[in-house]
Amino acid sequence: MSAKRRMWMSLLAIAMMAVVPGSAAAQGWSYKDAAKPYAGRSITILDEVTPLQENMRTLVPEFEKATGIKVDYQLLNHFEVISKGQADMLSGRGAYDAVMLHSPQMGLLLDAGVIRPIDDLLGNKALTNPGLDRADFIEPAADSLTKFRGKTYGFLNWNYNVVYWARGDLFGHAEEKTAFKKKYGYDLAPAKTLQQMRDIAEFFTRKKGEKLAGQTLDSDFYGIVMEGIKGGTTLWTVLNAFVKNFGGDIFDAEGKPTVNRPENVAAVKFWADLWKFSPPGQAEYSLIDVPTVMGNGIAAQTLAWSDFVLGIDQPGKSKLAGKFVYAGSPANAQGKKRSAETEPSGIVISKHSKQPEATYLFLQWMVDKSTQQILFDKSGGAGVPIRNSTWALPSVKQSKFAGLYVAMQESLKYGSAKPKAPKLFEVMDVLVGLVQEVGLGKKTADQAMKEGQEKVQAICAKCTL
Amino acid sequence: MHPLTPSKDPAPLTLPSPQGGEGGGESGYGWFPYALIAPAMLMLVVVALVPFLYTVYLSLHEIRHAQVGDWAGLANYRTLLANPRFWHSAGISLLFIAIAVPLEFGLGLGGALILNQGVRLRSIIIPVLFVPTMMAPVVVAILWKIMLAGSWGLLSYNVIERFGILTGTSVLASPSLALYALVLVDVWQWTPFMMLAFFAGLQSLPLTPYRAAAVDGASDLQAFRRLTLPLMAPLMAVIGLLRLIDAFKVFDTIFLLTGGGPGTATESTSLFVYKTVFDFWDLGPASATAVVIWIMFFAFANGFYQIARRKLGAF
Repeated sequence: MSAKRRMWMSLLAIAMMAVVPGSAAAQGWSYKDAAKPYAGRSITILDEVTPLQENMRTLVPEFEKATGIKVDYQLLNHFEVISKGQADMLSGRGAYDAVMLHSPQMGLLLDAGVIRPIDDLLGNKALTNPGLDRADFIEPAADSLTKFRGKTYGFLNWNYNVVYWARGDLFGHAEEKTAFKKKYGYDLAPAKTLQQMRDIAEFFTRKKGEKLAGQTLDSDFYGIVMEGIKGGTTLWTVLNAFVKNFGGDIFDAEGKPTVNRPENVAAVKFWADLWKFSPPGQAEYSLIDVPTVMGNGIAAQTLAWSDFVLGIDQPGKSKLAGKFVYAGSPANAQGKKRSAETEPSGIVISKHSKQPEATYLFLQWMVDKSTQQILFDKSGGAGVPIRNSTWALPSVKQSKFAGLYVAMQESLKYGSAKPKAPKLFEVMDVLVGLVQEVGLGKKTADQAMKEGQEKVQAICAKCTL
Repeated sequence: MHPLTPSKDPAPLTLPSPQGGEGGGESGYGWFPYALIAPAMLMLVVVALVPFLYTVYLSLHEIRHAQVGDWAGLANYRTLLANPRFWHSAGISLLFIAIAVPLEFGLGLGGALILNQGVRLRSIIIPVLFVPTMMAPVVVAILWKIMLAGSWGLLSYNVIERFGILTGTSVLASPSLALYALVLVDVWQWTPFMMLAFFAGLQSLPLTPYRAAAVDGASDLQAFRRLTLPLMAPLMAVIGLLRLIDAFKVFDTIFLLTGGGPGTATESTSLFVYKTVFDFWDLGPASATAVVIWIMFFAFANGFYQIARRKLGAF
């Protein structure tokens, strides 16, 4: 069945669900009936613009048609969503009924008390789809993001995650495989551990004029590329893909800073040592640059956000399209606990919303199984699931990104929302500058973590809520 | 013959007849001049003075989660002045200005003098010179990112790496070089503006003093030192001050090219304020920063203004 046909069938299915007894309606519930008291009302939603959300926007008229609720679905870029959404909620202006929040924002906004809990709405049988199936949301992403002190704040909306991404063409090259096994004593394959990732990085780092997969290099080739910019998600990848795998963390169970604990120092040192196998400009590479470098074919492997992979591993976007391989974010071979960098983001109702019920209906519809199915079908099987049932969709299983979805699923098992710390952005800003300096060789991991501990303690003695 | 174009005699300014009579103030035009400037003044009050006064108000209060709390006195100022990061960012801004503005000034003046010599294709060169200045800072940042990005940047790969300079690092990723790269971008963008402003000034200089100097046997260098520089001084003072103020405010290119890094190597005061407001939501210290910067700049600009007015006859 073609993607287009699947999409039309799904659209028909959701339209049927909205107006005619269907799977949910079999239990006496429909969006049309639920929205009757709110028909004609207007709500404003703020979400972040990516290809996925742009697809979501095209579906919004279906909701409006079914419910009579007018939705102003606004999409802004990453920085504006954070600054504008947060400003609106904190100031009490209430221009937005619902706002998309990245998990690092949750601490500040929960502390300010500007997110409306939805437990009363979830418990309202007239409003809540009996087929909502909250158990289907991917965990630990959903609960770690939306649950706090026994209350529920919004829905898991987007489920960004970091995966291991490598050059399958190099990994499958007979000469390279032989040489790798001879040097390291095990088979060349996508790294399952951080130590294997380091070996692969070392192995594939070659100078101009040397051979790579039988070809003479006309420029330097790098064993790994990682995000290194001061900002973006550099720090989070260091913390969740490295530090936590080494048994470390930046806060203890009580929320006090523990930046200089030995596990953190060891992990940052390990991460910084990988820089010698990376392109010279890594300190300026953002989460957008890393996929670009991989697409350009000058590095063997990376840890990158899977939603950006979707934009690169496409014919016409990279000459290597179709030749990449993926895996879950690697574990520490000596580690007891596994961790991966993921960024569950939520959509929450502002405390200042004057239309919480109508807004709730819309948010519920956004994360509804049927809507998620249409979204995936519409995007040709390219997306980031928030529901476990999505993995089983034909459009996902038969997608050309099927290998990537397996990797996403693996990473998502080990990632959760960021700590709920009101001063988290300030803490992040201090630490990312320090780890970057370790990567650049300007500070040792020990010096940086010691300095980080002092600086974070000056920001917050007890950082988490 | 000296290539400077003679200026035209300015036509005498004609104002409406005084109508106010007694009580019309010194000018004798009554309310008329005030009515003329009222819309501009009103706009200035609304868009500049009110927000500024509100910022002062915020800086003197406790602010938590964007909600104004109790009177805090000078606590936000004490927090700010005790923050080494603020002083570091002020140092970065001053270093940026100290290198970029003189370079732009010197290159701009030099270029203007060359243009003023009757360069061929001037009618094509001048519009082209406008291009960097007219570009949005975001476009400039993206352009230079493409030029200087490590390993794949047009300039960094073809010039720097191929000739073996700076291998193993990249300009924007180097704590010791990133700031100079940002200076380079600023100089690239703003030198043409300085050049064109100075060129316009040179074009409007009177020719008579140069003729007299030529009759007296003055060399080109003497004419430049004794005539051009003194005659251009007021314009130079104005342009220089405007550029200084603008350079201090530089934000977009730094934000986009380095984000203030590596480490804090390029974190200017503007970026510091931005982060304090929009990333950390620490509105009290952020307001105090804005006020301190304003005081610093007011003192500097006022000093500059007084000197320029008295010594150079500017303003």
